[in-house]
Amino acid sequence: MRKFMIIAGAAVFTVAAAHAPSGAFFAEEGADGQYEVLSPWAEVDPIPLRGISPRVETLAGKKIGLFANFKRAARPIQAAVEKRLKERFPDSETSLFDSRLPNVTETETENKDKFAAWAKEMDAVVAAVGD
Amino acid sequence: MLLANRGFVNDAHSAASGKGMPGVRVLGTSIACESTVAADIESGIDAVFDDIVAALTKPLTDEEKSPQIKTEKPPRIAFTGNYTEVNRFYYRKGWSDGLPITPPSPDAVAEMMQGTDLPANHVVAKIIPRMGKATIEKIAVNAVMAGALPTHMPVLVAAVEAITDAKTRFDTFEVSTGSWAPFLLINGPIRKEIHINCSSGALSPGNIANAAIGRALGLIVKNIGGARKGIEDMGTLGNPAKYTLVLGENEEESPWQPLHVDFGFSKKESTVTVFFPNRYAQTIPAQTNAQGVADSLAGMGPGSLSCLIVIPDHARILSSEGWSKKQVKDFIIKNAHSRNRRGGLLSDEDFIVVVAGGPGVWMGLLQSAGGFGNSFVTKKIEVPSNWDTLTGKYKNLVPSYVRY
Repeated sequence: MRKFMIIAGAAVFTVAAAHAPSGAFFAEEGADGQYEVLSPWAEVDPIPLRGISPRVETLAGKKIGLFANFKRAARPIQAAVEKRLKERFPDSETSLFDSRLPNVTETETENKDKFAAWAKEMDAVVAAVGD
Repeated sequence: MLLANRGFVNDAHSAASGKGMPGVRVLGTSIACESTVAADIESGIDAVFDDIVAALTKPLTDEEKSPQIKTEKPPRIAFTGNYTEVNRFYYRKGWSDGLPITPPSPDAVAEMMQGTDLPANHVVAKIIPRMGKATIEKIAVNAVMAGALPTHMPVLVAAVEAITDAKTRFDTFEVSTGSWAPFLLINGPIRKEIHINCSSGALSPGNIANAAIGRALGLIVKNIGGARKGIEDMGTLGNPAKYTLVLGENEEESPWQPLHVDFGFSKKESTVTVFFPNRYAQTIPAQTNAQGVADSLAGMGPGSLSCLIVIPDHARILSSEGWSKKQVKDFIIKNAHSRNRRGGLLSDEDFIVVVAGGPGVWMGLLQSAGGFGNSFVTKKIEVPSNWDTLTGKYKNLVPSYVRY
């Protein structure tokens, strides 16, 4: 009887081994049913950070840039902003930069120099992206 | 300062941080995205105009003046727990896609990396918007989570190279409100070696390769690129194809040369071709002769960019009546009702024709958008030196269905 049980036990073990998935693909757990698992979240290389431009004390008498991207709502939004700026700060000046290339970073396009020159002339800038 | 629809404030902050300016002041408005309603715009600006003025005049904080670099070094081992605990931990961290994951243990990840000769720390690409480093190990972690096999690694490495190629305009499609999903078309011998389904129901669930490769890529985009749904990935309606959209061309049943050969690769090479559709449509031809099939393909209205999927039976009918693939494309260009996004007529570069699927009468269209300087991108799939051993290990991992 004992011999039979040993043989039977060995047979069960053999069958189980034959059906066990090979290798570690199936994320074998530890003997205590625990998994030690790796993070999927990527590392990033630190990039140089820049502060934002100093603010002006008032918009009165200032040159305010209005940047509109290619989306259809951007220019009407800037028109609405401009209208209110003129109402509240009549001596302010506005200048529209109309970006027509779809989904681009303006400073990475052929308009880079034009954009930089425009931005340099502004005391403050409002950007509208139409979304 | 930046004005954006209030649902895009997080997205704007993430984008600014990714460009090295985390302090950019962002103001959310109630104005509908791409609004064409003047009253909506006027009232939306009225509601925030005082805040606009404040954003331009309120003195800067120290952090806004001189933001500090936060060097993030996530621990390699993220968690220890049982299967359920691991799944709940990953879900709560925002690292899963809602379905259970395979725990990415060090052993499982090591086995996954047998699918490439590249070292674990090799950076395949940096993925926007977070510019996360897609190392071989991180790709493998996400692949294990998705249930992929080590034999899928070569496709994933090539797919990461492909989606991050500037010509795909991934920067537009990855996080767009349009909910575009990466479509991977696999060509060459690897299709058979890793059991990519090219035939019946190829775009339906049921095959590890088609399911897990696309799922892994989705996790890679999320966890390495940092494009999280509703935070950076601003797809308005979403797209079930973001779970997976992987197809092999049915080269064995096609009368024409496969797509990758059209693109200059050898038939013996394996490739992945990528673009980002958000529309999948199917139809049947009014007539099943060659003219009827061609009319229906043109009638599906492929725009720029599109993939027309022709089933083997229809391809054979076309071929037997003398239609080459080029003639089919020329006919479509001449007769399709759609125009491309640039406003011009379709051109040969605007769409591809591939043979896939099984018995039946349906034809398919996957459609993206052109006009962004985007194009199809094809990358060669490089297999590791142990390829025969590796594929041998998994060659019998296929479903077998009982007849009832």
